[in-house]
Amino acid sequence: MALLTDDVRSYIGRTSEPWFACDAIEAGAVRRYAQAIMDPDPAYAGEGRDRFGGPVAPPLYPAFMFRLPFGSPDYLTENAENPDFDGLATSVSSGLPELPLPGLALLNGGAEIELFRYARHGERVLQKSRYADITERQSKAGPMLLVIVETTYETEAGEVLLKVRKTLIRR
Amino acid sequence: MRRNFEDVLAGDELTVLVKGPLTTAHLMRWSAATENWHKIHYDLPFATGHDKLPGLLINGSLKQQFVAQFLKDWAGPDGWAWKIAFQFRAMNLAGERLELWARVTRLERAEAFGLVHLELGVRNGEGKESTPGSAVVALPYRDGPAVPYPFVPPVLPSAEAAGA
Repeated sequence: MALLTDDVRSYIGRTSEPWFACDAIEAGAVRRYAQAIMDPDPAYAGEGRDRFGGPVAPPLYPAFMFRLPFGSPDYLTENAENPDFDGLATSVSSGLPELPLPGLALLNGGAEIELFRYARHGERVLQKSRYADITERQSKAGPMLLVIVETTYETEAGEVLLKVRKTLIRR
Repeated sequence: MRRNFEDVLAGDELTVLVKGPLTTAHLMRWSAATENWHKIHYDLPFATGHDKLPGLLINGSLKQQFVAQFLKDWAGPDGWAWKIAFQFRAMNLAGERLELWARVTRLERAEAFGLVHLELGVRNGEGKESTPGSAVVALPYRDGPAVPYPFVPPVLPSAEAAGA
């Protein structure tokens, strides 16, 4: 149990405050996203059968729409002369408090996703996250932690869009 | 086109979805669309020198979009891709062509629609698997209505199915 200290274990069950993405679902942002994933589904432009109540965003879009709002520090400029800066701003990832694991790399191990409905253009989306579990495993490279983060994405009216149970590997 | 539960058999293989070859421009387009500036996707000296990677990596986040599209399109206009699970087991490098594949492992009947359990993955042009996973897709019965939207999970007799 080299990595899973009582301090780290105490984060299990901790939740983030519900947190709105700074922008609502925007047609232009949906278009760029759909073009980037090369999915020409006409539902993203609101064409075809209106099963979804108007134009929608791709299935996983709500999980990727949490961006730095106006007024955020410019971390690219702050790190312009930092040779170790990898370009990531981890603080926008989930709203959860950082685990006290300085110096440990973070790898995305995968996810389990449950989908309920698409977000429509114009809707606002909020997320709530929780450290569902933290366990230690031995790998060939030494000990590592498996951090399970559960996030629910909802509309302002509280309708669940999707749930993501993500495995983060720290080692 | 509508796909009915009765049209599917255990062991069926889905028509492969090909993405790419994925160039650095594809990766930059995705990074820009999501405002994710992780250098391992566009800064070759950083990726190979600092992070000791063999090249620029195709974003895992992009691969999961492809998986979601693949299942959504297969589910058809009256079905619903309900559950998707995957593990990032290996890297894919800029320049690779990705093939999304899936195979039906099990069929299960719920009251209002059927559930198709699948195994899936993402392999490159050399056949190397990087993203093994599984999924559950709800399909309408031939003589039944479309799967409800927004999706309402079925009440199933087996706890195993509910947790699949």
